[in-house]
Amino acid sequence: MISAALRPVTSWVAAHPVASFVVFFAAFPFLVPYQSLATQVLIFGLFALGFNLLYGYTGLLSFGHAAYYGLGAYGTGIALAKLKLTSLWLALGIGLAAAVIGGAVIGFFCLRRRGIYFAMLTLAFAQMLYFVAFHAADLTGGDDGLRGIPLLPLGLFGASVSLRTPLAFYFFAYAFVVLAVAALRRILDSPFGAVLQAIRENSDRAVACGYDINRIKLLSFVFSALFTGLAGALDALRLTVVPVDSLYWTTSGQVVIMTLLGGAGTFFGPFVGAATFLILADRLSLFIEAWPLVIGVIFMAFVLFLPRGIWGTLAAPGVER
Amino acid sequence: MHRRQFLTTATAGASILVFPAVLRAQSKDPVRIGFPLPLTGTFAAIAADMQRGAQLAMEELNAKGGVMGRKVDVMFRDDELKPAVGAQRTKELIENQKVDFVVGGLAAHVQMAINEQTKAAGRLYISVSQSDEISAKPDTSPLTFHEALNPTITSRTIATFGTKELGKKWWIVYADYAFGKQNTAVFAAIAPKLGATLLGSTPYPLGKPEFSAHLPKIQAAKPDVIYAVTPGADNVPFLKQAISFGLKKEAKIIVPLHFLDYVKEGGAEVWQDIFGATHFCHELAETLPQAKRYVEAYTKKFNRPPDAYSGYGYSGIMEVARGVELAKSTDSNTVANALRKNREYDHYKGKQWWRACDNKSFQDLWILKVRSPQQVKGEWGFFDVVGKVAANEELDRTCAEKGLA
Repeated sequence: MISAALRPVTSWVAAHPVASFVVFFAAFPFLVPYQSLATQVLIFGLFALGFNLLYGYTGLLSFGHAAYYGLGAYGTGIALAKLKLTSLWLALGIGLAAAVIGGAVIGFFCLRRRGIYFAMLTLAFAQMLYFVAFHAADLTGGDDGLRGIPLLPLGLFGASVSLRTPLAFYFFAYAFVVLAVAALRRILDSPFGAVLQAIRENSDRAVACGYDINRIKLLSFVFSALFTGLAGALDALRLTVVPVDSLYWTTSGQVVIMTLLGGAGTFFGPFVGAATFLILADRLSLFIEAWPLVIGVIFMAFVLFLPRGIWGTLAAPGVER
Repeated sequence: MHRRQFLTTATAGASILVFPAVLRAQSKDPVRIGFPLPLTGTFAAIAADMQRGAQLAMEELNAKGGVMGRKVDVMFRDDELKPAVGAQRTKELIENQKVDFVVGGLAAHVQMAINEQTKAAGRLYISVSQSDEISAKPDTSPLTFHEALNPTITSRTIATFGTKELGKKWWIVYADYAFGKQNTAVFAAIAPKLGATLLGSTPYPLGKPEFSAHLPKIQAAKPDVIYAVTPGADNVPFLKQAISFGLKKEAKIIVPLHFLDYVKEGGAEVWQDIFGATHFCHELAETLPQAKRYVEAYTKKFNRPPDAYSGYGYSGIMEVARGVELAKSTDSNTVANALRKNREYDHYKGKQWWRACDNKSFQDLWILKVRSPQQVKGEWGFFDVVGKVAANEELDRTCAEKGLA
């Protein structure tokens, strides 16, 4: 069994998740065909990480995560392209603030319902934002997308670092994603993280234990929006455009697929899923136009036969989750 | 030993992932041109036609020994009609395939996402589909060339021809997105100067072609001409509904652009008597020797005549090749300067030129009218060429209006 052979690796990784992440992703840009692909994997892995916090750890299926990704992207993009801010830090801050506020407001309303109603509400809010962005063309560029986002040099301890080469940008994103991964680990290891998983397993019992689960769910929602918004903000800088379909439901769908493929509720699942999806898409599309069909079949096979996803299956049972 | 085992396994895994970097000898390298286009999605048929044009250009160039003795290699990528994918594919072409130039994009929003990547990487980009912004500030750059028409040129052409030949009272039906809105705005601005009246306009959501609620209102206004900016798959439903309401008999209908593939698919029964502009159609072979040569070569190779957008693909690749020959270099800036200095070219349908300020191509346009089912010649002869609007810089915004004075 492959999973038996890999067990020592997966258990080491499971015991040192953040360190493993730091090591592997430091080498990652040299392992893939080109560096921008590595950056894309990193950013979409972060996006899926945000989604996974809410779905995989809290048990809330959001079908509108494009909203926070788009808010982060447009927030940062508009700050740089329209407001002409000269600080990359401030622009990123605006993107994150937009995502967090969006997450708090949307979460406040959506969390009043459960299950399918919750999922549909999150979808409806995301689609609403999509139509707002589509029509507010003066601010967002409408369906032409937001262009003209300058990739400013990064002000760092008085020095100015250019992010223009793909590798420099990769490590810029890497720094943020490492922080996010460490933060997620901290969240999951905290009592708060334990309550999240208690809610996932049995929310009635969590209530019976005396936890204010509405408040905790909202907090989880906001954290999720924060991670997702960071991914959006970084992607706006990576592409220097924000397409309006960043907010479209297909973006929300993509992150669900990546997370399930990698393994929902596992620490590395989102990154494994993002890497599998994006690298396959990148390479397969060179040979066949119908590459989504191939990914679709793989996805269905996992959902049907290995519902714990790639990482969930590889990792030793009981060690992860 | 957990750690060591981990490292061994990780290294083994990593080496599978590594794609060997190919060492390349500079002099015998082909000239690489990246070509992202939506091979899947709504515009797949037009993209396939454009791809055939570019492929023909590549093969003709290579048959003559390439450029500067180097082969031309055009690398096509599917951008799925999504800006983020177009941007990513362009990054892949530049970083992984080390392309020297980029031609392509088939939709305003995807073009502009591609353009951001080529600007950042300092590659010459010839964009080959409609957009007003791509040749204006802030999107344009000294390395951004625009081979295609744009909404301003298209709608000014429609207005110039239409108010003279078809009537003075107009109604516009348009898809509510950038291309629809821009064409409407351009038409509304120029109509009064040409003595035309815009009686009203009907926006509808792109891809949701349901007009029965609007058609009685349009009918009651009694326009002479209906300008239908109902792109792609929306055209046929619009025309069918207009026919069933009897509107096609009461008013003339004109679309911004005619596409052979769409007209053939919808059939002459539906399309009969509909007017539209184009920068190229295979019927031009009857009057233009350059078009004759191009249409013959294309038809011989692909066993069907070219549609309009094949010309953009063909001309885009040919212009890169001409620029490289002129500059004796594959450096994007040098090639761009060479093209601006030698701005006239003629690859498939007569003289075109680059305007120096905005790298915009100017070219002749023709007005087409679809033949009746009885008059259609053979499998592909759908169009009568009923008018020509000669290339003219005044059809576009001025350099000052584009922020480039």
